[in-house]
Amino acid sequence: MIIANQLTKEFKRLKSKEGFMSGIRNLFNTDYAVKRAVDDISFEIQEGEIVGYIGPNGAGKSTSIKMLTGILVPTSGHLEVNGIVPYKDRKTNAKQIGVVFGQKTQLWWDVPVIESLRLLKDIYKVSDQQYKHNLEMFNDLLELDKFYQTPVRQLSLGQRMRADLAAALLHNPKILFLDEPTIGVDIVAKERLRTFIKEINREQKVTVLLTTHDMGDIEKLCSRMMIIDYGQVIYDGSVEQIRKTNGASRTLVVEFEQELEDFAVPRTELVKSEGRKKWYRFNRLEASPSDLITFIGSRYPIIDLTVEEPEVEQMVRTIYERQGQKVGVV
Amino acid sequence: MADWPGAKSIRGSSYKEGKVIETVSIYLKLIKISMKSRMQYRADFFTGIISVIILNAVNLTLIGILVNRFAHLNTWNLWEMVFLYSLWVMGHSIYSLLFWHFNTLEDYLVRGTFDQFLIRPIGVLVQFLGREIQYMGIGDVIVGATGLVLSYSKLGLNWGMFEFSWLIAAILSGAIIELALAWLIACLSFWTGRSVTAYFVMMRLNLMVQQYPVDIFGTWFRVLVTGLIPVAFINYYPTLLLLGKTEQAGGWGWLGMMSPVVALLLLALAMLVWRIGIKRYSSTGS
Amino acid sequence: MRLFWSFTRQAFHNTAVYRFEFWLQLFSVFFMMYSVFWVWKILYKQSPGAFGVTLEQMVTYGILGMALETIFHPGRGPQTYITEQIRSGSIDTDLTKPLDFHVHMFARNFGETIFRFGTLAMPSLAIGYLFLDFRLPASFTNGVVFTISLFLGFMVLFSLNFLLGMLSVVTLDIRSISWAYNALVRFFAGQMVPLWLFPGFVGTLAAVLPFKSIYFIPLSIYIGKMNGIEAWQGIGFQLIWIAVLLLFGRLAWSKVHTRLVIQGG
Repeated sequence: MIIANQLTKEFKRLKSKEGFMSGIRNLFNTDYAVKRAVDDISFEIQEGEIVGYIGPNGAGKSTSIKMLTGILVPTSGHLEVNGIVPYKDRKTNAKQIGVVFGQKTQLWWDVPVIESLRLLKDIYKVSDQQYKHNLEMFNDLLELDKFYQTPVRQLSLGQRMRADLAAALLHNPKILFLDEPTIGVDIVAKERLRTFIKEINREQKVTVLLTTHDMGDIEKLCSRMMIIDYGQVIYDGSVEQIRKTNGASRTLVVEFEQELEDFAVPRTELVKSEGRKKWYRFNRLEASPSDLITFIGSRYPIIDLTVEEPEVEQMVRTIYERQGQKVGVV
Repeated sequence: MADWPGAKSIRGSSYKEGKVIETVSIYLKLIKISMKSRMQYRADFFTGIISVIILNAVNLTLIGILVNRFAHLNTWNLWEMVFLYSLWVMGHSIYSLLFWHFNTLEDYLVRGTFDQFLIRPIGVLVQFLGREIQYMGIGDVIVGATGLVLSYSKLGLNWGMFEFSWLIAAILSGAIIELALAWLIACLSFWTGRSVTAYFVMMRLNLMVQQYPVDIFGTWFRVLVTGLIPVAFINYYPTLLLLGKTEQAGGWGWLGMMSPVVALLLLALAMLVWRIGIKRYSSTGS
Repeated sequence: MRLFWSFTRQAFHNTAVYRFEFWLQLFSVFFMMYSVFWVWKILYKQSPGAFGVTLEQMVTYGILGMALETIFHPGRGPQTYITEQIRSGSIDTDLTKPLDFHVHMFARNFGETIFRFGTLAMPSLAIGYLFLDFRLPASFTNGVVFTISLFLGFMVLFSLNFLLGMLSVVTLDIRSISWAYNALVRFFAGQMVPLWLFPGFVGTLAAVLPFKSIYFIPLSIYIGKMNGIEAWQGIGFQLIWIAVLLLFGRLAWSKVHTRLVIQGG
């Protein structure tokens, strides 16, 4: 469906001069620096997948999305979206994709939502039948009819995201690009958006590529995850796999009868101590929970204990750190 | 669809026609929504129009004061000056109404609205064109029309069909020249990220040139505004023709005839630069 | 003091980024000076008596007027800053700064003005002197009084713009009003056409409005049209208006300040 092969994007940026009389010198400046925003990445996404695309700011996420949607032309490499090269056939590609930018809306700001949708219907040449059908679905799953008539500028963020999703899906695109769709949205609204996306993916086999900082999105929606940093994909695999390869870490949370002074437990790291609880992190391949519990329990009475699995966020952070070590970055 | 050799050419002409109609219809729909958007700001609507009327009134008063003191400006009397000014304002009003937002292209680039255009299955230009409409152009229409009507009667002109059609042509050419120049300047945003200052500079200089007949100034000036940045074709040369003052400019007097040609050439240039600009935006981002 | 220089330096850095615009503006000023030069030249040939002053004085007036436009552009000042801050919502940071807002705006405006004076006005005057018959002040005294008057003219424009900025807080969009405002200020300030050429009612009106403080009074002093007592009367006029406008400015600010704080920016 989406094929990227050795995709690279370089930018030339004017080097600003500093220091003495920098103001005047900059008036005559012509120095350029080349920055590789996307560095030789390759991946394949099949129809119907929901893929999470995460990475720190400036890692190359939005640049990749811009290339996939046909906004930017790659410096080199090959890119194909459902058989079409986005930047070569911009308009044809546009018909098969839907895009939601988290920070900006594609709707007209001062007029009711429904007006924007009607105009989009004409722009995308959606048939009356399809239009009606989709509206009904949106009413059903997103409760769009509650704020159809409201101008976009008066909508809450959650409502606006719903409207933008509807707008992006109005023409039944095969692929949906979501750029930070849940940013700033409250928990309840987030859930609703995620449910909707899952539903659309299930029913219509819409392929979804989702960039986000929110690990909840990843855990709840994505079967697959790509981590990008410094323009390179440093991890590409299922969420499950990440747990397996990096998820050997566990945390033993023990609640004691009384508040105790901190004490060490062999083959563990005491990461937190609060009141009567202590958190011990260990590698389950090196130490078995039962041994640890026996060790602790034989010294102090235990009221309660849990073994926590690492959060995706933590695992991702580990991957970053490891990558940083590899690259030699602090 | 059959793809035999004949098909393309037959499909060709009506296909193109169909495309044009389609584009125009989309444009009208976009404009409709822009009009609705504008109408949300009622107060702004009226203040904008009145403000523009005041602006033009001030300019005309200044000219009036000069003519009052000096009886004429290089043989140009008051009503001829008013005619000169009004001719410009009429063309300018079209520009103000439909194309004024071109100079805000840099905002579109920075805010990501331009990216939205690229994601849709229709032309970028149509979307940009239809994005905004400025009611203040109505103020220009009022002033321009009044000025033309008044000066026509005060100068005792007596025109036939030919002159009137030429007037329309001049007004349209003027609008197109302004559009093309503003468009070219706006395209600067693709390279330098900003065009606002350049735009206002051009507007300020243009005002100077449109208010005063070019024959007042020296040769260098005339060459500049005729050959290099052809704003003199907006109102000066057409006015020479329409008022029968072609001797003012000596051999250059009949250049008014060229206004439509200049307009179309500039327009073509602007469209070319626009296309190149978009290509550049697609390869260097913002 | 340090405040002024920090704003001046800021203006410097901004221009470095937009280097193209710098050259463009310089060209623009020259173009305007050139145009004015020619208009007066032609008109002088037609009726030399109608000027009320010599051609050199007239041309100097016009050229200086155009050069000063680089710093006295009515569209540039606290009102644009304020509107922008409100639009982006960052007006809050201005409110929380331990600095009187009025003074803050002044420092900012003045810093930028100094910068533009040095980088745009001065070079263009040099060009005007070399190529367009721009003259030095009528006398040393005139030059000194002119400098005072110029500063006072800046103060008047600043306080007018500040009031406009206060208006923008209430009406949220002054863009449309700005066009009329700019045109009216320029007109009544006598930037290009000096006020003594204004006939009848318009002339009387221009004489009482504050706008002439900005261009007309300083320029007239410079070319020697207003000397001695008249010059000091002009200065007095400027001072009175400054006092009035600044007072209104402070009143308006106190009203607006409360409003902003209540509404939360």
